[in-house]
Amino acid sequence: MVVNSLAFLWFFLVVLVVYYLLAPKKVLQNFFLLVCSYWFYAQVDLKMTGLLALLTLIFWGIGHGIRIAIEQEKEQLASRLTTLSVVIGIGALFYFKYLNFFIGSFVAAADLIGLHLSWTASHIIVPIGLSFFTFKLMSYPLDIYHGKINHERNIFNFVNFIAFFPTILSGPIDRPKPFLKQLAQSRLFNPDNLMTGFRRVLWGMFMKMCIADRLDLYISAVWNNFEHHSAVSILFASLLYPFQMYADFSGYSEMAIGVSLMLGFKVAENFKRPFFTINIAQYWSRWHMSLTSWLTDYVFMPLNIKLRDWGTNGTIAAIMLNMTFIGMWHGADWTFFLFGIYHGLWYIPLMVSGQFFKKTKIQLNSYGLPTAPFAWRMAGNYLIVTFGLMLFHSTNINEFWAVLCRIPEAWNGGLFFDMPTLVNGAICSLALIYVDFQEEYFSKKKIYLPAWTERWRWELTVTVEILAILLFGIFDNNQFIYFQF
Amino acid sequence: MKKLLIHIAIIAALFFLFDRALGYGLGILYSQSNATDEYKISYSNETTRDPILFFGSSRCLHHFVPSIFEKELGKDCYNTADWGIKNIYYHYGLLGNILTRYTPQTIIFEIHPCDWLQTPFSGIERANSLAPYCGKSEACDEMLKLSGNYWKYQLSWTYRYTGSLPNLLTGKLGSMDRSLKGWKPMDGILDTTGIKAEEYPFPVDQERVHLLERFIKDCQSHGIQLIMVESPMYVCSQQDVFRFVHELTQKHQIPFLDHYRDSDFVGHAEYFFDFGHLNRQGAERYSKKIASELKEIID
Repeated sequence: MVVNSLAFLWFFLVVLVVYYLLAPKKVLQNFFLLVCSYWFYAQVDLKMTGLLALLTLIFWGIGHGIRIAIEQEKEQLASRLTTLSVVIGIGALFYFKYLNFFIGSFVAAADLIGLHLSWTASHIIVPIGLSFFTFKLMSYPLDIYHGKINHERNIFNFVNFIAFFPTILSGPIDRPKPFLKQLAQSRLFNPDNLMTGFRRVLWGMFMKMCIADRLDLYISAVWNNFEHHSAVSILFASLLYPFQMYADFSGYSEMAIGVSLMLGFKVAENFKRPFFTINIAQYWSRWHMSLTSWLTDYVFMPLNIKLRDWGTNGTIAAIMLNMTFIGMWHGADWTFFLFGIYHGLWYIPLMVSGQFFKKTKIQLNSYGLPTAPFAWRMAGNYLIVTFGLMLFHSTNINEFWAVLCRIPEAWNGGLFFDMPTLVNGAICSLALIYVDFQEEYFSKKKIYLPAWTERWRWELTVTVEILAILLFGIFDNNQFIYFQF
Repeated sequence: MKKLLIHIAIIAALFFLFDRALGYGLGILYSQSNATDEYKISYSNETTRDPILFFGSSRCLHHFVPSIFEKELGKDCYNTADWGIKNIYYHYGLLGNILTRYTPQTIIFEIHPCDWLQTPFSGIERANSLAPYCGKSEACDEMLKLSGNYWKYQLSWTYRYTGSLPNLLTGKLGSMDRSLKGWKPMDGILDTTGIKAEEYPFPVDQERVHLLERFIKDCQSHGIQLIMVESPMYVCSQQDVFRFVHELTQKHQIPFLDHYRDSDFVGHAEYFFDFGHLNRQGAERYSKKIASELKEIID
């Protein structure tokens, strides 16, 4: 059951009605939410529901232990418990996601030096949303240990935080403090939250169904048969891929944020117009923000402090490790490893030139748009991201290499032009680009519309969005790219 | 709460208004389009009144030349076939829609394994091509209900045209020549390298068989002469693919002109555009051949 399905719509309508009927009794609301979240997760991944519950209990128990240790001033015990929680979190990720990959790589490496080891890959099913909920779990004991939060005495609240159904499958990766604070208050029926949330859900559906899924038809047609396509088509499909990824994942995030808001929760934002950036550091500060901020707080900052004696080299090492984690977080393959390294390498010129530490302000011309040099740098940054995502899209290194080799070989052919797909995709993409442009550069300028439209603006926007989804959407693709992570 | 209910009511009203207006406009563009899908589906469902109709998928679309049949049989013909591996779910709905307007004298049905086998590449979703005609006939609605989209099409007229805006806006520039009465010729000669026969390792689908039987019975009950045909392929399957059709036509006592393994065409690359579709020359030759056979059968 995914957020843009009819099944979810019915599920959510029932949840919404009962949820607000239970207000203002927050205990009942929270308990109901917990039941709904587990029911939702069981619909998606019944077999792994037990694992989710078990890990949640373990981490809550560890959090409890850390609190007691801190209260009794047993610093060493608190530190050991925190380390244990990280080991369990990383261990779960390692076992389910990376075990086969690492053993397989080890066996392949041994084979290269003449050691022939026999090994068959274990059939391990990766729990859906594992990478998202383990990060939420790990942040809890770490935050207690560092004094950012107090231990949540109410176990149901903690279970709710981890299993919160709008975000459990693909994020955003929320932090314990703001979420638990909201759980401690009762959520009253608020029409404004419902209206704003509903608009975000619709906008997310538009991004996913009208842009991401449309572009996917073209990109998959070219990429999955690249040996029969010309270089122009491969390059064009590759250039479209970052935009598809953005529409897919940002679309999902919009839906998750909108659904959360309709339930009275403000969860972390995940995207902030990432292509209006002039370097890779800026890009990562606006792309999958909940993951990057998590890794910045829990990986990069501690590493940077540990390596500070090395000066700039220490920061570069911390960035490279951090970016490798980002790459490998997405999956167990060398393509993801190289994806991380590739992005890390682009930080080095920024570090060496000192731009990493400066906040470069994009210069605007008299029309309020970026000046030509900055516009070119944005285009250049998009190309850098595109090349990285070609690695990301490849199923393995061999495929990536074969695609790269195909490009110089196939200059003769023309562009594969699938008119309906590209025109539908282009119309909707232009709408997204316009909205992003508006928010990025003209957010303070009010668009004056006739008075009657001002009065009916919400209703008109919602109606137009629904009609656009019906007219341009693809309704038989219910898979999100980020579900696999 | 009251405020929210007012907002919902306004949206419902606006949606109804805009959706109907947009759907109506798209419907007009649809019926005026010369793009293959839109023209074939709209003309077959809304306009044709010819006594002889050809039913089928792409092989029928490219193989049967109405002008040749008209000359030979002395009756007006129209080729209703459409590409995209249309199957019995589509044909049955189309027949229902045509019967709401008039009763043709003869239907020549180019049958395809997708009409009775559980082919994964062509299933109930093919009925969705009839979305613009939701509500036109019981048969059409029944097919749309089977596809699970009937209520969605009833709720939204815009949804009936999902994904087709570019085609509709450029429809007038479409490649269909209306004077050819539904035939779409293909120019070019088959490149025979690597050509293999198409096999059908799929089980019989009882739902499709049941619909085929109902198609036959509906024709019989309306006094329509139904003739089943199978046109040639460049390379033939190892299986006895059309045994099912022979049995079915014998059971219902309807003629079946099986040219699947016709040696005048099989292996003759000059008559084919690709391994399953005759080119212009092949289609004209085949139409002449089968027209003379049909002359003996058609009342």
